[in-house]
Amino acid sequence: MRLTRLVASTVVLVAVVATGIGLGSQKAAAQDTGNDVLRIGWAQDPKTLNPFTGVNEEEYTVWALTWELLLNFDPETLGPSPGIAESWEVSEDRKTVTFELIRGAKWSDGRPITSADVKWSLEVLGSNGLLFSAYTGNVTSIKTPDKYTVIVETSKPDARIVGGLWIYILPKHIWGKVPVKELTSTYQPEVPMVGSGPYIVTEFERGRITTMEPNPEWRGDPPAFEEIEFIRYGSQDAVERALDLGEIDFIPEVTAATFDRIGEKEGIETVKAPTYAFTELAFNLCSEQNCPDAKFNPAVQDKTLRQAIAYSIDRERNNEIANQGTAFVAHGLLPSFYKAFFEIPEQDYPYDPELANQLLDDAGWELNDDGIREKDGMVASFDLYVRSEAPADVQQAKLIAEQTQEIGVEFNVQAVSTDKLTELTIRKVDGKPAPEFDTFIWGWGGDPYDPSFLLSLMTTDEIGASSDAFYSNPEYDRLFEEQTTLFDAEERKAVIQEMIAILQEDVPYIVLTEDPYLEAYNSDSLGEVTRLCPAETGTAFCQQVSYEPLLTLQPGTGSAASETVSGVPGGVVAIGAAVVAVAAFLFGRARGRRETEPLEVEA
Amino acid sequence: MTGARARELLFGTWRGRFGLSVLALFILMAIFGSAIAPYDPEASSLDVLQPPSRDHLLGTTESGADVLSQLLAGARISIVVGFAAAIISAVIGAAVGLFSGYFGGWTDRILDALDNWFLVIPTLPLMVVLSRILNPSLGVLILVIGITSWAGTGRIVRSQVLTLRERSFVERARALGASHWYIIRTHIFPNALPLIFANTVLIVAVAILSEAALSFLGLGDPTQISWGTMLENAFAAGAPSAEAWWYVIPPGLCITLVVLSVAMLGYLFEEYVNPRLLEESFESTA
Amino acid sequence: MNARWLAGKVGAALLTLAFVLVFNFFLFRGLGDPTTQLARLPQSSPEEIEQLKRDYGLDKPLVGQFADYVGDTLTFDLGISQRTREPVWEEIKNAIPWTLLLVGAGTLFATLLGAWMGVVAATKRGKRTDTGFLGFSLFTYAAPEYWIGIILILVFAVAVPIFPAGQQVTPGVEFSNWLSEAFDVADHLVLPAIAMTLLLLGQYFLIMRSSMVDVLTEDFITVKRATGLPWHRVVSKHAVPNALLPLVTIAAIQFGAVAGGAITIETIFSWPGLGELSFNAINDKDFPMLQGTFLVFSAGVILANLIADCLYFFLDPRVQTR
Repeated sequence: MRLTRLVASTVVLVAVVATGIGLGSQKAAAQDTGNDVLRIGWAQDPKTLNPFTGVNEEEYTVWALTWELLLNFDPETLGPSPGIAESWEVSEDRKTVTFELIRGAKWSDGRPITSADVKWSLEVLGSNGLLFSAYTGNVTSIKTPDKYTVIVETSKPDARIVGGLWIYILPKHIWGKVPVKELTSTYQPEVPMVGSGPYIVTEFERGRITTMEPNPEWRGDPPAFEEIEFIRYGSQDAVERALDLGEIDFIPEVTAATFDRIGEKEGIETVKAPTYAFTELAFNLCSEQNCPDAKFNPAVQDKTLRQAIAYSIDRERNNEIANQGTAFVAHGLLPSFYKAFFEIPEQDYPYDPELANQLLDDAGWELNDDGIREKDGMVASFDLYVRSEAPADVQQAKLIAEQTQEIGVEFNVQAVSTDKLTELTIRKVDGKPAPEFDTFIWGWGGDPYDPSFLLSLMTTDEIGASSDAFYSNPEYDRLFEEQTTLFDAEERKAVIQEMIAILQEDVPYIVLTEDPYLEAYNSDSLGEVTRLCPAETGTAFCQQVSYEPLLTLQPGTGSAASETVSGVPGGVVAIGAAVVAVAAFLFGRARGRRETEPLEVEA
Repeated sequence: MTGARARELLFGTWRGRFGLSVLALFILMAIFGSAIAPYDPEASSLDVLQPPSRDHLLGTTESGADVLSQLLAGARISIVVGFAAAIISAVIGAAVGLFSGYFGGWTDRILDALDNWFLVIPTLPLMVVLSRILNPSLGVLILVIGITSWAGTGRIVRSQVLTLRERSFVERARALGASHWYIIRTHIFPNALPLIFANTVLIVAVAILSEAALSFLGLGDPTQISWGTMLENAFAAGAPSAEAWWYVIPPGLCITLVVLSVAMLGYLFEEYVNPRLLEESFESTA
Repeated sequence: MNARWLAGKVGAALLTLAFVLVFNFFLFRGLGDPTTQLARLPQSSPEEIEQLKRDYGLDKPLVGQFADYVGDTLTFDLGISQRTREPVWEEIKNAIPWTLLLVGAGTLFATLLGAWMGVVAATKRGKRTDTGFLGFSLFTYAAPEYWIGIILILVFAVAVPIFPAGQQVTPGVEFSNWLSEAFDVADHLVLPAIAMTLLLLGQYFLIMRSSMVDVLTEDFITVKRATGLPWHRVVSKHAVPNALLPLVTIAAIQFGAVAGGAITIETIFSWPGLGELSFNAINDKDFPMLQGTFLVFSAGVILANLIADCLYFFLDPRVQTR
């Protein structure tokens, strides 16, 4: 039929033309010279800029560049270093800390930064911000005798007041004007945001782009980049492709599965660093007294058994397989990120299944007919819960189950939803905790510099709250209290090491791996990067913790691709041609109809 | 309508032959797939996203697992969910259609309104909402698909029952004092059965597609691998960017083939039951 | 136009929508408690949970809550998204145009292409072209649209990079004028629209074909042929317009499939429409958003059905003479 031939040939013509032009004119790059822009890509962007309601990592990234803390984290040691306060003094009884603020410092809108801002932030953000309300629990009063002095008094010595007070100092003259009820619900700050850090947000198009420019009142040297663009892509995959194509300079988050592959590409370098988060195998150690209605296999509370299990797990190999080697093997509850306080414990449980078998034999755990150890009526067969949403964890669980078979311990791996596992761990009967599990695999994340949160997981006070191994040891509790009061890093480290030694002996957790930061950057456009937070073993970006590393980044020789699009994409030509074809078809029909009109004489 | 015609349709036409053989193949895969899989479908290794090789005939996934093994193991979920959900849907649809058509009056008005509502409401969003609230698992998947797919059957059965109700043998039975239940059981239901069956086969196709879509969106059973979850994982792992065609094509192709074979058989059954319906559309291409 | 008939149709549509509201409310309040999400945030105290309960009005009796819900919905207050803390309606409002664009493009091309294929297949009934088209449409029906979408990305955005692989515009780019931005959007629309078209094509083709076949075997066509009119004139002038009618109404049945396709296709292409909102809500267990998108999808489909009914009324002379 003539019609068919017309349509078919049009389609072919269109396809050829579209392909040709599409291949030819891709985005005609308009070089932007003289404008040093740092382009960072991510798949999730901040949902809000309001620290009272934000809960995501991406939001922290923006806040950390905009505002400072009373005392910042030193990028090399992660210890306390001057922030809004340039010096501090701890009293004899360590219950009072006096901060001297930097004189003459200004907000980006020109107003002076004073003690009123500090007091307001510590009090209001510190009690209402979802993520900031755990730091001022011991504070009894905050006094501001003059514009540049802040005196913080606590009920007992609290080392977090120096170097662990992760509450952003906000400009009171802006935030103080908004009722707290609004701050904690729908308030969205105006852009450009007013801040004290090196960059401030000048454009926030949620779902598309967040733009930051240098703070005109920034105290330090003018930053090298005139603009930072955080560009949001549809998926992690798209982000990595954009880096590959040179559209962006830096990715703060790379997926484990593609990390190696992306590092092999020319012009792309990767950085891997341990974070303050880990993945662990937890045991249900709740005592009869604390959890009268808990449900679990009593064998899990046998210390020798747990120690033997620890020796039978090959943490190195499991990390290689489950995480494609991107995570770090853990050594105890305290991640190596806490450089000031970390050491590999003496009792580190290297992979030694022979020793494990020996321990169990000596302790009277005998193998029954099914190849599982038994003693005094207890059978070493446990449920191992793992979250189905975390495939790497599921993989680790399976590997562990394989390995413990060698020593006669059976783990039944159960992949359940996060909701379900939460239910099992926070289960309560008559108001008392009654956890229902033998073992599970999950993870925790802490605070930079101050290890108190992670250490607190094993305290008796946290039973019924954060503690999910339900471990209780008065000696540990005592040491925990003590370390919270020690401002001197050396002293504190000694006490913390004692605590870790206790935990390594009792094994409430077998900490398997430390979660990594995985970053990738375009070495052509960024040149060399300095690893910080902490020095040498840290990352190139220090996201959320310190803005210093960003300030060390320099625009390199190459520059990232175009700013403005000028070419006409090939796909549009296809559409245009299709429209033309349809028009031709219709026109042809209309003409045809006119021709046959005379024949319409009907009988 | 005789067995001869049924045999002629099933084995005489290329549609019948294709549908039967492909479906049989996949049912075998569903039963024996896990047993003949060369690797444990969930075993990861360090060979991440590798193209097909001697060791891995269809290459590996983003965690180093064998694609072929996952494909073989995944057949079970698709087939089981497809058939189970279709049966549930058939039962509900048949019941609603029967009671609605037979009893008429308010029963009919209410049930028919319910039927219409389920027909109008967009299916996937409805399934998504239900699955999310109930927390995904295999049972939830079957239940959700079953209770959202019955409306088509209900409508067809209702109209069939309406016709049957007026037939003379029913009137005679009523005059003789037969109970409603007896009439439904011996006169209405057996005559509606072929139609229900034919429609249900098509629902199997829809159910398989629905399971795949729900799994793809992350609402499938998290402890099982199905073809839909394979596509979900492939996409999330950046398989398109990695040009990992061996990971992307097979699961979708399997879904397509199973649905194709079931749909072909379904249309054949419809032809058998009601030749006039589709005579002009398909007979000429037999 | 018969006003009573129209009123009846609108009334039925509103009633259906009312049932959606009831369903939506009881499903979510009955089975999902929005505040359990926040209970799992670190440092979320019981007092904060209680406060949230009060803010959401969850401390009132169920009937009171339902009344609130209906009232809120009528004023477009669909709650606050748990993920973004923005009003649900705001997010949905911004997403609707994108979904309409995608769905509109897909429907348009599927209708045009399907109609043309249907005409051709019907006039060449039984020949290879017909079989080929039938096979093709059966294949596109059986193939999951997201699978097709992934393959499109793999082939046309990665392997042979002609089109972009996702989103609706090129990220991080400033446009000098609205025209170049429109071109950019069109460029991004091509692949998702192809996926959407293929999803809908099969059904449109089949309907067009069977209705054409019906028409072609009718007497008046035989008469026209007998008068010596060229065959292709008979087809295009007489058969096609009559066959188009069922296309409109049967297309209405497709609207439900369109909603489903929107969810999966938008997810693949990171297209910022209702579908992507739904997908994010699924992952984040953002119940207010899920409730909202379901409501809007349902309302959209109900509205589309109503419009289709009205169109049918206009186009079908037999109905009009009633």
